[in-house]
Amino acid sequence: MNRINPLYIGLSLVVLLSFISYKLNMVTNEYDVAKSEYKETLALANELKSLKNVYGDKKRVKKSLQKILNHSSLRVSEINKSFTKSTLKIDAKTIDVKALNFLMGKLLNGTYQITNIKIKKLSDLRVSLELEIKW
Amino acid sequence: MQFNKKLPTIFLDSNSEYELVDSKVNIVLSPSLYWVKKISLPVKSVRDTLKLLPSIFEDILPDGNYSYYAYKNGDEFIVFAYNDKFILDTISQKGISLSNISNIYFAQTEITNLESAIKIDEKQSIYIKDDILILIPCCWIEEKSELDFSDIKHSKHKITIHQFGHIVETKSLYKIGAILVVMILLLSSEYFITSYKSSNIISAKDEIFQNYKLKSTTFQNKALLKKYKNIDTLQTKIREYISYILKLKLQKAERISFISFKNKKMLISFSGVSKSREDVIKKTLTSKGINFKVKPTKDGMKIEVSL
Repeated sequence: MNRINPLYIGLSLVVLLSFISYKLNMVTNEYDVAKSEYKETLALANELKSLKNVYGDKKRVKKSLQKILNHSSLRVSEINKSFTKSTLKIDAKTIDVKALNFLMGKLLNGTYQITNIKIKKLSDLRVSLELEIKW
Repeated sequence: MQFNKKLPTIFLDSNSEYELVDSKVNIVLSPSLYWVKKISLPVKSVRDTLKLLPSIFEDILPDGNYSYYAYKNGDEFIVFAYNDKFILDTISQKGISLSNISNIYFAQTEITNLESAIKIDEKQSIYIKDDILILIPCCWIEEKSELDFSDIKHSKHKITIHQFGHIVETKSLYKIGAILVVMILLLSSEYFITSYKSSNIISAKDEIFQNYKLKSTTFQNKALLKKYKNIDTLQTKIREYISYILKLKLQKAERISFISFKNKKMLISFSGVSKSREDVIKKTLTSKGINFKVKPTKDGMKIEVSL
């Protein structure tokens, strides 16, 4: 008759079941949090990567601006350009409207961080221009 | 270790009196505590016999939950029915602790070689008739010896009393136990799978930091993203507003004489614009959702837009 009381075995099983349920609940919550953090991080990383490529890629921005400024349409214009470590300043006392249209078309359609614009009409065909682009 | 230790044996009968027992004992059940039959059945194994016993005893047993036992004796079976609760109650009434009971046997299987009746108390004797041990009143037989278990060699036919058999059937207990075990196994495997998935997703998240060359904390990355988003919003607005301004349908004498943008402020000067045309331009800009201030100038107006 030295048998273990089945009630004790049942109770132990119930306690074990409750413990495992509790642990499972904890680990499920952890998993849900980890999953949502993963999704959030991935979305953030993708968004950050694309915005960084647009505004944070200094080499690309600088190279592309140099290409625009060396274009044949702007060669005849007297445009003063000064590159610093993080900016490009463009200054033209007088510039042809066609050249302005070309330049502004390229800059406004491209993804450049324009921080300063000043365009003043001098005559029907000429304007003065000041521009600053940051990267 | 009880293997070589001979334990005292008690003959348990509901009418007998006992001294309180503190040591381990074996118990031999009196015929008053069980029902026994000698039967021939068309089955070969004891296992098959046990299945038939509830219906065999059905007519003679009072209401209650019973357990059954059987063994083969030649071509016949000796079959038993007993009420666990009644035996437990009797053990309890006699002051014997369940933890002190080593094994329980039927008197039928333990007392086999009786030449005459044996007296078990002042009123009752036991006697073997047609291979069945029966309980008889003392007065039936005069020559009788005393019951002595000092040299008893117990048979292999010991039984187990189900302490909760009267509350829940053994089968149900096994079923409940099995269900609990299955649930434990399922939940355990679910736990390990979820833990594994969780650790995988944490490593995948760390890999994102490496692959995308992110800053070490999410806070830093969020701040950086916010900075770039602000830049993007502002740059989109500049382009959007310039586009609106350049698309304005101006009349012959009307000109845009100045456009500037600095520190989130855009200034546009119009020349040759009459008062009525000013209203048209303002209306057009308002319809585009642009918030602006208007300042009149000598030959037109100046619009200030905050981005």
